[in-house]
Amino acid sequence: MMRWLLVPVVFLLASCAAMTKVGPGETVVRESLTVRLGQGWNKLAIGTGRVEIWTTEGLPLDTLRFYVDVKDGEPLQDVRGANQKQVPQFRAAMEPREVVEMFEVFSVADGSRFRLAKLAPASFLGTAGFRFDYTLMRKSDEVELKGFGYGAIRDGRLTLIVFEAPKTHYFGKVAPRAEAVIASARITK
Amino acid sequence: MLAWWRGAVLGVMVALLPSVALAQAALADGFKKVPSGAKVVLTPMDVELFSISAGGILEPQAEWTSRALDHLKSAYQAKKDALGVEMLQLDDDGDEVVEDFNRLHGAVGNSIALHHYIRPWRLPSKDGQFDWTLGDGVDAIRAKTGANYALFTFVRDSYASSERVVTMVIGALFGFGLQGGTQIGYASLVDLRDGRVVWFNLLRRARGDLRTPDKARETLENLLEDFPG
Amino acid sequence: MRRREFLCGCGCCGLLSATPAFALADGEWHMPMRFQKPEAGGDEGGLWALLDREEAKLKRSRFIVRDKALNDYLAGIACRLAVDHCPDVRVYVVRTPIFNASMAPNGMLQIWTGLLLRMANEAQLAAVLGHEIGHYLARHSLDRLRDAKSRSAFGQFLGMALAAAGAGNAGLLAQLALAAGMFSYSREHEREADRIGLELMAGAGYAPMEASKVWDQLLGELKAESDWTGDPATRSVLFASHPLEDERRDALATRAAALTVPQANVGGEQWRQVMAPHQWEFLEDELRRRRSGESLALLDRLIAASPTDGVLYYFRGEAYRLRAADGDRLRALDAYELAEKQVNAPVELYRSRGMLLRAAGDEAGAKQAFARYLSLRPTAEDAELIDSYLKQEIR
Repeated sequence: MMRWLLVPVVFLLASCAAMTKVGPGETVVRESLTVRLGQGWNKLAIGTGRVEIWTTEGLPLDTLRFYVDVKDGEPLQDVRGANQKQVPQFRAAMEPREVVEMFEVFSVADGSRFRLAKLAPASFLGTAGFRFDYTLMRKSDEVELKGFGYGAIRDGRLTLIVFEAPKTHYFGKVAPRAEAVIASARITK
Repeated sequence: MLAWWRGAVLGVMVALLPSVALAQAALADGFKKVPSGAKVVLTPMDVELFSISAGGILEPQAEWTSRALDHLKSAYQAKKDALGVEMLQLDDDGDEVVEDFNRLHGAVGNSIALHHYIRPWRLPSKDGQFDWTLGDGVDAIRAKTGANYALFTFVRDSYASSERVVTMVIGALFGFGLQGGTQIGYASLVDLRDGRVVWFNLLRRARGDLRTPDKARETLENLLEDFPG
Repeated sequence: MRRREFLCGCGCCGLLSATPAFALADGEWHMPMRFQKPEAGGDEGGLWALLDREEAKLKRSRFIVRDKALNDYLAGIACRLAVDHCPDVRVYVVRTPIFNASMAPNGMLQIWTGLLLRMANEAQLAAVLGHEIGHYLARHSLDRLRDAKSRSAFGQFLGMALAAAGAGNAGLLAQLALAAGMFSYSREHEREADRIGLELMAGAGYAPMEASKVWDQLLGELKAESDWTGDPATRSVLFASHPLEDERRDALATRAAALTVPQANVGGEQWRQVMAPHQWEFLEDELRRRRSGESLALLDRLIAASPTDGVLYYFRGEAYRLRAADGDRLRALDAYELAEKQVNAPVELYRSRGMLLRAAGDEAGAKQAFARYLSLRPTAEDAELIDSYLKQEIR
């Protein structure tokens, strides 16, 4: 029932754009991360909580997710209705693999299947970070997705950017653009 | 995560639903009609129909679904004669490539329904253009069938309580599966050379309308209204 | 009301809506004859057509576990239980880390991998399957399917599509279970299925006492999770679909004690052999649920049954490492050490040990562990990363 009460709210929201333009050019993400964009992206402008989400072809088709400056003791995302002890929290001393393990939890929360394909050191945000590649079998429509993420922990804070799209066509099409965004990322604050 | 905005979009979607069938077709830039002599292959249709009775009771309509499939097929056949295009039937034999694109079509359809048809959710980067694709991998379907175009069809109809409807439609829009909710359908004509969606029709209507086979047929015929021929 | 019409409407459509398939007087039960597929066109025919189409979809699902040995083995158990009905039962293993099984009136029997992982032996699985087949033989699921609400949920699950209210909702997996629809059986139906299940078990030569143990194990896991989180056990996703009742467990135990089965079979060793090739993946799925209370209780139980299985000690270590509460680092290291002593010690334990030691500042110890891992698994997906650790100077 509660959701129906949202309808009036929704009408208010409907009058303002849910997707806003980002780029081309310099763009600031969550106040402290700056990226340089060759082409424009679309940003989900409402209610995404801790994470910022961009897309080129639409949310069901490709997403670029930014987790910026996650502090020790915070989760990557908030989980409604979960006990604190059932949601993984970031720890400043985490190994790259443990960051990936933390990310996985959210990917499989709807019953989807996650498989890590590669985890390797990578330069990110001008520091020694890591990159991981994975596949995800989406439970809802059984579309197979491919994804990769770059992460780094600086001054005890995690920044993680993850790209994901259907293996058929969309990954190959958008991944280079996502890579370019990630390569341009730097911390400005 | 993201829970409430999903709810919000769903709300928009539901709130905007018309009470009568409403088909809204879109054409890709520069595409007018299927050239005469072209072959169109009909991929296995992804259709599920349910009804909701006045008392809110749901009834699975397997019979309607199969009838609906027949209606759709005959509607396509009828178009074929009018268009001078050759319609090929692709059997639902579990072919991996075809299934793959059928699934992808569901996701692309969700994306179009959300980002093209709901104005505040339009993608600024598309600049109002109808520009969508399944990718050039569809060439495999051309190789398999010899067709120039493929017609993908995806239809779902309510089988849920109103609360669940909200959940489902929103889920659909965000790639969590379109399972019922209100009646919603996509038909896409895809150019098998490059995968471009050259014609797309979105069908939305309030739930509870599919109580008779006639209406089902009407609905499904609406999906093919404005077929570019 | 519309629903009444619907039900009344099939008053004349034959066996499906006729009197109960059999009467279950205490201690006496007769297996009904094989059910005939209803004619197409009638209400029931429509239902069947729907189920058949859903089954066709399920068959193609990318979440079905297709391993032939496992499927043959499970089908064999189902067959022994269903006896005459064997040709009508078709088993599907669905990869989902939740305790669940369900059987549709057309004979489609689904078993989820989270259930397989939790069974201690063949007899326990027979108890669960016997219970589901009990619902089938008593035609409960047909009643349930006629019930509109559960029907919608059923269809939703079978569509293998999860409509999520939001991916961050803790109840997502629970919704899956709910959608699978075990939920809506009445207490009466559950009890009746329990009774038939026991009869079927006994008839197939399984030790009926294992049925109550299934519940005992589940209650144990629930309690462990609730102790750990401080939440009441009713919030567990694991058993979202079954009302947990001590009473049911006890009733099963009492009835089982009254049944005499000569040379009752438990089938523990056989079960472990069949499960062994799948255990790793199922346990990975399990730990991703992040229900450490439940997972640790499960692992304790599995270890008690197979005290020389290095894989199980490794996963116990993983559960502690992922939980990362006070003292868990040492508990994890202890578990890896025990894993290392077993014949089938998994290579991954060295990686995990390396991570824990590295985080604790023991760089020399970490390097040693990582070096071991890499020498045993030079083509690991994270080989480059591990190699980079080895090349770093010790500070």
